[in-house]
This record gives sequence, C-alpha cells and structure tokens, in this order.
Amino acid sequence: MIEIPSIMAIILPLFGAFLTPIVAFVSWRFGVKRQICGWFAVAIIVATLAIVASMIPAVLEGRILIYELGRAPPLGINLVVDGLSLLMALMIAGVGSLVAVYSITYMQHHTRLDLYYALLLLIITGMMGAVLTGDIFNLYVFLEITCVSAYALVAFERRWESIEASIKYLIIGSLGTSFLLLGIALMYGGFGTLNIAHIADLTRRLTGPTPILGLALSLFVAGFCVKAAVVPFHSWLADAHPAAPTPISAFLSGVFVAIGAYGMLRVVYVMFGTLAIGPLLAALGLASMVLGALMALVQRDIKRLIAYSTISQMGYIFFSIGLGTEMGIQGGLFHLLNNAIMKALLFMCAGVIIYRIARRNLDEMGGLGRCMPVTAAAFAIGALATAGVPPLNGFASKWMIYMARVEAGGLNLVAVGVAVLISAMTLAYLLKAFASIFLGQRPKHLENVKEAPPLMLLPICLLAALCILLGVLPQLGVGLARPAQEAAMQIDNYVGSVLGGV
Amino acid sequence: MSLNYVVAMLLIALGLYCLLLKRNLIKMIIGLGVMTDGIHLFLTSLGYREGGIAAIVTGEMLENTAGFATQAVDPIPQALVLTSIVINICIIAFALSLAVWVYRHYGTLDPSEIRRLRE
Repeated sequence: MIEIPSIMAIILPLFGAFLTPIVAFVSWRFGVKRQICGWFAVAIIVATLAIVASMIPAVLEGRILIYELGRAPPLGINLVVDGLSLLMALMIAGVGSLVAVYSITYMQHHTRLDLYYALLLLIITGMMGAVLTGDIFNLYVFLEITCVSAYALVAFERRWESIEASIKYLIIGSLGTSFLLLGIALMYGGFGTLNIAHIADLTRRLTGPTPILGLALSLFVAGFCVKAAVVPFHSWLADAHPAAPTPISAFLSGVFVAIGAYGMLRVVYVMFGTLAIGPLLAALGLASMVLGALMALVQRDIKRLIAYSTISQMGYIFFSIGLGTEMGIQGGLFHLLNNAIMKALLFMCAGVIIYRIARRNLDEMGGLGRCMPVTAAAFAIGALATAGVPPLNGFASKWMIYMARVEAGGLNLVAVGVAVLISAMTLAYLLKAFASIFLGQRPKHLENVKEAPPLMLLPICLLAALCILLGVLPQLGVGLARPAQEAAMQIDNYVGSVLGGV
Repeated sequence: MSLNYVVAMLLIALGLYCLLLKRNLIKMIIGLGVMTDGIHLFLTSLGYREGGIAAIVTGEMLENTAGFATQAVDPIPQALVLTSIVINICIIAFALSLAVWVYRHYGTLDPSEIRRLRE
C-alpha cells in the first residue's frame, strides 16, 4: 500500500479553502447552482478523512509516522502522527465532513456561501496542522489559523448577537494565544529549541523545577484552558457557540474544544512530564462540570443549553486526564471522542428545529415529536448518551472515568459522587429540553412543521448510529483511545522516535 | 541588554492592563497589539548578540561557517517574530472590523454596555 504523507492532510484543505471562491466564481459564470461549492468542500474534507484513515493501520501497529519538512529534527519542523494525533485527526475530519454535508441544506439561503466553506476548510486545516505537528511554534501558528477562522465564523451572520459573541471570543481567545506565545518564547529562551520531543528530552534531564519552567507551565496551562473553555475561562463559549451558524456550533462544540485537551496532553504532559499539575486540572474540571450543569439547568435557549452542556462535558474530560493514570487518560480520551459525536448530534438536531421553525426559545416550542419523529429519536439518543445512560457511548466512557477515580481511592470517591450527581443533572436538563421541544401541546404557529430534509437527516442518523455502536461495542472506541493514551504517556518512545537516537 | 527585557515586560504589563481594564473597544484592541509587541521584543532580544552580524551567509563567510556561527545573531526568533507579526495584523484588522460592526449595532464601544447576550 502506498503511504500518503501526513502533510497531505494539511495541504488538501488549505488549498481547498482558497479554491472555494474560485469554484464559486466559475460556477456562477457558467450558471451552475450555488450549492456546488458546498459539494466541493464536502469532497475535500472526505478526501482528508480518507488520508487520515489511511494512516490508521500503521499507527495501530504502534508505529509513529514522522514527516520531515526540510532538515531533520530538532533543526527542521516535523509532523508526528502517533495514536493521540490520529484520534484527534479522525475526529476533526469525521465531524468536519458530516458538518459540511449538513451545511449544504442548512446554509442554502445564506449569501457568501463560498466564504463560509472557505472558512470551514481553513478551520479544519488549522486544527489538522495543530494536532499533527511536532513543533511547538508551528502548533501556535496553526492554532491561530483555527482561532481566526472561528472568530470569523461566529460573526458570520453579522447579527448583533453574533458580533457581540465574536468580539468577546476574540478578546479572550487572543489573550489565551498570547499566553501560549509568551510560554513558547520562554521555552525557547530556556532550551533553545522548539521541537516538542527535544524540549521533553531536555526537561527530563533537569533535576528540579526552575522558575522559568514554572512560569512557562502556568502560561501554557492558562492558554490551553482558554481553548478548552474550562472554568474560569469558560465565559466565551456559552456566547460564541450559540451565536455561530448551527453546523459551526456543532463543529466548535464537538471538536474545537478538544484541542485544549490535546494541548494539555501533548504539550503539558509530554514537555513538563516531571511537574505535577494533575490535581489542578482535575479541580478545574470538577468546577466546570458543576458550573456548566448548573447554568444549563436555567437556560431557555436550546443552543445555549447545549453549549453549557459542552462546558460540563469538558469538565469530565479534564477531571479524568487530571488523574494521570492509564485508565484515567484512556477514559478521558474516549469521552473526548464521545463528546464530539454527542455534541455534534445534539447541535444538529437543534439546527433542524431552528431550520424548520426559526425559533430557539424552548418556551415557544412543543409537540414537535409527531411531525419530526426521526429528529426526536436522534435528540433523545444524544441526550441519553450525554447523560451517560447505558447502553450508549456516554455511559461507557463515563464508567471508565468513574472506575479510574475509584481505583485511586481516598478523596476521589467524593469527587466520583459529585460526578454521578452531575450526570443525573445532565439527564434532567436534557430531558427538560426534550420534553419542551418534542412533547406536550403543539402551539398554533407550529401547525405545518415537516421532518428535516434528507441531507440534514443523513449526518444526524450516522451520528446517532455511532452513539449506539460505541455504546454496545465500547472496545471500538477504546481501541482508538488506548493507542492515544499510550502515545501520551510513553514519552520515551515519542522522544526516541522523533529524535531518532540523537 | 537587560533593558530590552525590562521594556518587554513593561509592554506586556501595559498591554494586559489596557486589554483588561479599559472601557473602550478600540483601546482594548490597542492593548492587545501592545502586549503582543512586548512578546515580540522579548523574542527578538533572546536571539540578540552584542555586535553580532545578520544571519545571512555571504562571500567569505561561506568558507568560515564556524566563525559565522559565533558571530551571527540567532535567526530563529526573527523568523518567529515575523510570522507572529503577520498573524497579529490579521487579528487586529479583524478585531477593528468587528468594532465597526459593534458600533453599528450598539452605537457605543463601551464593553460594559455590549452585553445584551447576558440578559
């Protein structure tokens, strides 16, 4: 089999992004339908997914695929694909392609579609680059590409709501990335290299923590916490994600926040392996778990409710990777994968309702279950999976998280109690949302609501099927999460493969 | 030389102060710019060498690479800063255009009044 280099997974969406306006222009000249640039974007993202998928067998064998740009590391920049990068790349391309398919119908009445798809492709380029690169400054550059496209997509509709959300997001987000840049500058000052593996190699040899290292560590943690929307840096998420067009909400809430967790594992755990910040991460996770669920309970806006639920689920992930044991990180990564599926599903169902009735307030809905049975069923699956009801995927990963904590014993048992309680609360607010949308009396103005169009139902059904599949056969998800966890924890292996025994 | 670092830290602190405490969006965006400039100054100072030469290999330096390495300034921070400057131009341009839209929708640039989402 021919091995396609990992760089193609970055180049393809990048070129696709800049070709989209050209495709739109040409199709306009020749009188082809406007949807053509949507299909073009879908083709590009599916091709990216195929490239990423072609790397699965090699990585599952335990190999680390390295692609060198220019000189060998630590001089040149290199792309490193191990289990952790692969899991992230699969999530990005997978959810990305479903989101693109969904957008074709959802966005059809909007203008400037070429810009929309160009930005969607750019956000995928940025995230792909950020998870595949082995160079920390490269990671920062790709992260900025992702963030700038995310700010632009949040503001895409240019209503007061999206503008306000976007400017808030921009201020907080750029503060976060500035922290990362300062942290990278400090690391370069301290170690004279930007390669993650090389820095990890050098920090391992230090006898104790130095002040520079401590400062850089706190800057990195703060920067990635902003990206992951963990308390106390969560305030932007609840504004930004609902304000974006719904397919983008699905992408941001499902995959984009995961980059924060990836940064924690790759940069913080690999580079600062010797320093213990696990308890801090777990405490922040616990706080966002509780706060997200409490805020979600009082929301009346369907998208804001799901956005707060994202904060709560990110809390679970940080709570789990903060433990730092094999089981904990595995559970956290599995939950990361499940969160991407569940959040994309929930937002897409909400998008169908918004598309059909043009309302977001839960009080103005009701009785829609009879007119859109498939959407109702999919929303129910997503809600139950998020709450962790067996036999759905959310249960499998939450069970792993609880078991990992129980194994650790002591105070952890109290924390597990809190986490179980929050799961019950998750069930409460999602079922409340389900009841007020799909059950009860149907208001007068919702007489003629139809089921979602087929192109929107397709990704929804696929995601719902994945929820059930990963719940019934959790070993499929664990099969991806275990290599990712091993990649995150076996630092010697990572350093050795990248530096090649230098 | 250490003056560079002091000024860089001052710029970062000033930028942070501006970004977090000013009551005008334009001033906040200026603060963001000042803060990143501070980080850029810090980065370039890292690679600076007293009396060093530009890291461009020319003429007689081609034969004397070891001597070149001891004389030239570190080129990597300069490359990093260049990249980062471009990124920050994008962000600031985008932020300013958003500020224009904020003014159109709200008629003010005071962030404490731009909070309809919270109601």
